[in-house]
Amino acid sequence: MASTTTTRRLSLSEWFKTITFYEILVGMKATLSHLLNYRPVTLQYPHEKRTLPDNYRGMLALLRYDDGTEKCVGCDLCEAACPSRVIRVVSAEVPGEPTKRYSKEYYMDMTRCLFCGMCVDACPVDALGMTREFEWAVYDKRQLHLNKQQLLAIGDRSFPTREKRLELQHPNVAFFNVAFKHVPSKPD
Amino acid sequence: MTEFGLRLAISLTQIAAVMGIVVITVLILTLAERKVLGWMQDRMGPMEVGPYGILQPFADAIKLFFKEDIVPAGANKFLFTMAPILCLIPTFIGFAVIPWGPNWTFEIGGITVKPFIITDINIGILYILAFASISAYGIILGGWASNSKYSLLGGLRSAAQIISYELNVGLSIVGVLILAGSLSLVKITDAQAGGFWNWYLFALPAPQIFAFVVYVISVVAETNRVPFDLPEAESELVAGFFTEYSGLRFAFFFLAEYANMMLVSCVAAALFLGGWNAPYPGTILALIGLPSLAWVENIMWFAVKTYSFLFLFFWLRATLPRLRYDQLMRFGWKVMLPIALGNIVVTSIAVFVYQQMK
Repeated sequence: MASTTTTRRLSLSEWFKTITFYEILVGMKATLSHLLNYRPVTLQYPHEKRTLPDNYRGMLALLRYDDGTEKCVGCDLCEAACPSRVIRVVSAEVPGEPTKRYSKEYYMDMTRCLFCGMCVDACPVDALGMTREFEWAVYDKRQLHLNKQQLLAIGDRSFPTREKRLELQHPNVAFFNVAFKHVPSKPD
Repeated sequence: MTEFGLRLAISLTQIAAVMGIVVITVLILTLAERKVLGWMQDRMGPMEVGPYGILQPFADAIKLFFKEDIVPAGANKFLFTMAPILCLIPTFIGFAVIPWGPNWTFEIGGITVKPFIITDINIGILYILAFASISAYGIILGGWASNSKYSLLGGLRSAAQIISYELNVGLSIVGVLILAGSLSLVKITDAQAGGFWNWYLFALPAPQIFAFVVYVISVVAETNRVPFDLPEAESELVAGFFTEYSGLRFAFFFLAEYANMMLVSCVAAALFLGGWNAPYPGTILALIGLPSLAWVENIMWFAVKTYSFLFLFFWLRATLPRLRYDQLMRFGWKVMLPIALGNIVVTSIAVFVYQQMK
């Protein structure tokens, strides 16, 4: 085999280090010191869990107002904002109220979601939130095709104080929503 | 019971005991390797099965027993089945000549039994080397019979590596054989009695330190361990020669690798580190008035030496990255082989001069 390495004249100390495996011994000393001063940096995951940061982006969820009505107005902005086309919204008019719309059906294919949070940023009414749930390993991928009821259920169990949580998690969204929240109500 | 029957029964008991020791050591090694690697890399190693994960080897064994055993379509079924066995059996056969303890004997039915030495044949080390080279056939046949190009590449690489490094193993121990004047492992071990300065690693007139280094590096390569784990090379090849193996057949390759590690550790202890001899003259148990129990101390020293050598394997694995194939071959043929040959020349001259002076 033709050697492609260029040979260089070694100095005496380099030559001595080579024949005595000096570098290897230094490495072995390092590993042995880790064995003797053993301080594990890993967590025993199912038994110990890492403290999540405040802005952790976990499973997506649909949210409700405090009185129980859904926030989502079916505007499709989340669908437009999503880079991996996870979201599919079918919106419809609220029966009896022609000016109001809602999402009749709402699907998320979480197998493709990359948890970028752009849908949450895009949502004008804070209907989407990112929970702190991350243990979503399933045996069947179809279990990750979520419909509206499932997404609302996730929101209901993960956001007991959802307004508070949302402001903590996404200051930007909260900032955008300040104007929205303080719009004076229309005179009836 | 006839005398022949009694002899047979004693031999079978000894063989069963040694097989048991080897299998138990392999179980310990599979756990110890992962724990030691974990500790050296600041993680825990196996922790889930049993307290501190000590039942992990049994969980692995159960898993391997019940996994589906797949034979690929187009594989040569006979050779595919034979390859793991061809790897495993020579390794186990090699343990027959290892002296585990001193020449301590007892009488049973008029027959003198040496419980720690199954056989003392006068070509002991040659016998081990001869059988160790057979396992190269198992590896190359395993790669070829799988009918997979990656397996074949892994097998060929492995065969080239094993053959070239086995040459170095053979040459590196020649110095010891010159000093001892015998191929019998029992005689070699006996000649190193009386303190660590009599071990062939340090013994005058020709300390075998270079030979020991060559031996260590070569057996690391021969047992396919990091940094010479090119036959497996998980990150480059698919998984080397046992890509197509699953379940129990894979477990046999695994078992062979670990048993081989133990065999070369025992040989290193016997040839270079004085075998079962303590690093001080005599034994402490004999000094304090228990000469009949001195074999306990001797066996303990053999175990300590063997397990220290096995720890070196883990230590190297935690430290070193894998060599490239051309580096591996160049190192074996251009560095290790001349050193081993030079050691033979120097040792021969030293022994000759020493004998003339005497």
